[in-house]
Amino acid sequence: MKNIFLILFILITSFGSSQQCNSVLTGKISDFHDNTTLENATIQIIGTNKITISDEQGNFEFKNLCKQTYKIEVSHIACKTKVVNIEVDGNTYKLISLEHHLEELSEVTVKAKEQTTTKTAQETLIKTDVLERYSSLSIGDALKEVPGVSSINTGNTIVKPMINGLHSSRILIMNNGVRQQDQEWGIEHAPNIDINNAGQISVIKGSGALAYGGDAVGGVVIINPSRTINIDTLYGRTILGGQTNGRGYNITTTLNKNYSSGWFTQVQASYKRNGDFKAPDYYLTNTGLDSKGFAGRFGKRNFESGFEVYYSYLDNEIGILGASHIGSVFDIERAINSGQPLLIRDFSYDINAPKQEITHHLAKANYYKRFQGFGKISVQYDYQYNQRLEFDVRIGDRRNIPAIDLTLQTHSFLADVNLDSNLDRKVKFGILGRYQNNFANPDTGVRRLIPDYDKYDFGAYITTEWKLKDNLILDGGLRYDYVHIDAKKFYLKSRWEERNYDQDFADIIIEEFPTQYLTNPIFNFHNISASAGVRIDLNDENRLLFNYSLASRPPNPSELFSDGLHHSAARIELGDIRFDKEVSNRLSLSHSYNTDRLRVLSEVFYNRINNFIYLRPFDFILTGRGPFPIWEYQQTDAELYGIDLTVIYDISDKIQFSNKSSLTKGYDVETDMALIDMPPFSTINQIRYTNSNWNNFSASLKSEWVFEQNEFPDFNFEVEDQLTEEMVLIDISTPPAAFNLIHFYSEATFDLSDKTKLNIGLGINNIFDQSYRNYLNRLRFFADDLGRNFTLQLQLNY
Amino acid sequence: MKINYLNLNAMKTTKFLFKTMLCLALVSSFTSCSDDDDPAPVNEEELITNLTLTFTNTTNPGDVVLMSSVAPDGLEDGLSTETIIGSFTPGASYALTIGLLNESESPAEDVLNGDIIPEADEHFFVYAVNGLNLTMTRDASDIDGPDGSKLGVNTTWIAGASSFGNLQIRLIHEPSTVDDSDEFGSATGGSEDFNITFSGVVIN
Repeated sequence: MKNIFLILFILITSFGSSQQCNSVLTGKISDFHDNTTLENATIQIIGTNKITISDEQGNFEFKNLCKQTYKIEVSHIACKTKVVNIEVDGNTYKLISLEHHLEELSEVTVKAKEQTTTKTAQETLIKTDVLERYSSLSIGDALKEVPGVSSINTGNTIVKPMINGLHSSRILIMNNGVRQQDQEWGIEHAPNIDINNAGQISVIKGSGALAYGGDAVGGVVIINPSRTINIDTLYGRTILGGQTNGRGYNITTTLNKNYSSGWFTQVQASYKRNGDFKAPDYYLTNTGLDSKGFAGRFGKRNFESGFEVYYSYLDNEIGILGASHIGSVFDIERAINSGQPLLIRDFSYDINAPKQEITHHLAKANYYKRFQGFGKISVQYDYQYNQRLEFDVRIGDRRNIPAIDLTLQTHSFLADVNLDSNLDRKVKFGILGRYQNNFANPDTGVRRLIPDYDKYDFGAYITTEWKLKDNLILDGGLRYDYVHIDAKKFYLKSRWEERNYDQDFADIIIEEFPTQYLTNPIFNFHNISASAGVRIDLNDENRLLFNYSLASRPPNPSELFSDGLHHSAARIELGDIRFDKEVSNRLSLSHSYNTDRLRVLSEVFYNRINNFIYLRPFDFILTGRGPFPIWEYQQTDAELYGIDLTVIYDISDKIQFSNKSSLTKGYDVETDMALIDMPPFSTINQIRYTNSNWNNFSASLKSEWVFEQNEFPDFNFEVEDQLTEEMVLIDISTPPAAFNLIHFYSEATFDLSDKTKLNIGLGINNIFDQSYRNYLNRLRFFADDLGRNFTLQLQLNY
Repeated sequence: MKINYLNLNAMKTTKFLFKTMLCLALVSSFTSCSDDDDPAPVNEEELITNLTLTFTNTTNPGDVVLMSSVAPDGLEDGLSTETIIGSFTPGASYALTIGLLNESESPAEDVLNGDIIPEADEHFFVYAVNGLNLTMTRDASDIDGPDGSKLGVNTTWIAGASSFGNLQIRLIHEPSTVDDSDEFGSATGGSEDFNITFSGVVIN
């Protein structure tokens, strides 16, 4: 009996204790990044009507809780709502942190606001909707949306971006956080990036973005994929395009699967094809393109931590205008004087030599973690494999063997720490280690253009951003880079002596062959770069940006090692292993004026570059193909300056006028000569009509007016026609005439269902089928540029 | 055949992946992924180092005019030196023999018979004279060149009155059009494999 009571008692008490709901949960809500307390946060126990609000100290309290695990939702204005599980066992205390400054911490992008990488540099964003219009073209074409950005082309599919007159090694391209390493030193080497991979591109003029590198004498291009969103969703985009000129077609599809837990995955594939383009009067034989791209990424992205694994692949086969294959200066003279290409065939999709075949693999993995009241630590490893095959016009069995076969592999390791617990005094620092190996395949049967080399980079940087007042921001940074290059280079004995290397570098010869020396040049460069700037908001309409940047660029492989014939230019190009690094001091000032209707942005810059490396003719050699000019890389001091202007004026709600103009000047200060390949003054005027009631219809008419470059170095030369003993002028310098092209573009978006949208874009480029040549197209000696082109693009978002 | 090709590709991919993995493993120690062996020299394969024109009197084999151009680094972009031995006899007829050698290889490679004649439809010899009373014909036995032309390797030359001047020989690769109606020949487009002028040729 006693036992029964005892059992009953135990049962009751245990029942009672589980029903004993008198526990108190107290806690504190704080801001994650700096540990400040958050007042007025709403705290609710899910599934109950218990709700409270945090007090001035961020404290909250729930009474009468039972012993169990509760799901609690914490929300605060402008914070991301958070759900936490709390096990209540007796009186419980819990600290809960929310992040109140996602935007300032660059964790979310607010659509209306532009999220730039830098605060005081001349930076412009190109957003997804604009990039989508360039789906059938290249990165280099899209970047020209930014005033001051032009391109140096080899034909119409090899488009290298040029920022304020500088290009190639002077521009740093970041592709999804990875510094693109694709033999960018070559003027005919376009960036191997599929534009359909880009969700947003940021162009920074000058070297202000020190976190990425210190050698961006010209500028930095940051290409980022679209942001992932943490909700359960599946969405995609497919773009189909067709172009009459070149009979081109392109397709790209992107699929995204996201989860509210932060997991995401994205796959994207694209294919582009075109045959021979057409100038108004003739086909541009052998200008076809075949491009295949694939990219995939997955990872988990949350505020406190995340990782991403990314892989992309691009395979481009690019035909180069057949008429540009020349053998001698007399060939180039005939090409210039004939006024039209000397090889014109009917339209074809065939891509024959001369052509390029490039494959680029990029793989990366990164991880980040945020620490409360401290900041964010990120680490990244990336690997790139770039193979470049260039096929020349050859004979016999060698026809299918490339004349250039280079494989460049790059491994990088990066670690960054972002101290942002104090949003008014942000500090970021990091280190970089990189190893690169170039392998030149000897099976080409052509002496190596670029030698085998190993390159090691080590870099460290610190940047800071100070918000002194709401309208005054200062930023600054310092970076050190060490570059070590260990090359194995063959020199013809005749060249070795002609360069006087036998006197200065006799000790680097490691082996002697009948006509060649094998040498082992080793280079070490210590580079310092720095940047400082200020941003002042004078009032609601006016903002001023001022920035100073110091950049140092070590010479690239072609500047050091070139020694041979450059076929399409009919000249011999010689590098110099004595070169020192190039040092740039750049000042920039921007003023923006913004009202509801009128937006004006003026950007001026002055860039003084010491030891500027550039190619210049200096001698002749009489060969079995007649005389050849010898161009030599030389170092000089140069200065560049210019102004870029953007004006956008809303004439009415529906009609907008815009103008983008750009003037760049560049001089060799030692000789007072203009620099070669400077973009001529250009002005683009556009008038656009939009009507959101007609399925977001818009139509625009654009005039692209490019002036004649009247400042150019006169590198013309005369050669003797030995047969007739007369002198023949080879005019390789005179720039082509000005041109004004008119383009039309129109688009509308139709809602097919709740989640499916169809955008149709119709364009006509060069409406009047005008013949023109572009100073910055290296094939301008041989053929006119593109004629009229009708484009149709269908884009399905689902 | 096609299966073999695919297998080869698969093998290449595996090899590539393997190499990549290896490199990934090595990167922490910053070890080179390439062989430490020194690279092998590349001997230019398409080089022509010696051009020789031998004009032999068709009735007097002892009457020979020899013109040669030598460029040890190749006629393409190396320094070349021309020499002429002998002079033409007025009124005489000469058969021309062309020699094109790559002497950077051992034994020397015969570029004319090894590369150019087998691809005669993509090549064309163009001749020209200035100041010289010298005419030429492409022989019936000449090799067929592009578009029904004659390549210009077997030619006969007739020396006229005493004169002094220059003789030019060009080899055009992949010309767009060719014309040999005046026997010397002319072409548009393509690229010059060589363009050599012998100055100071004599008929007396």
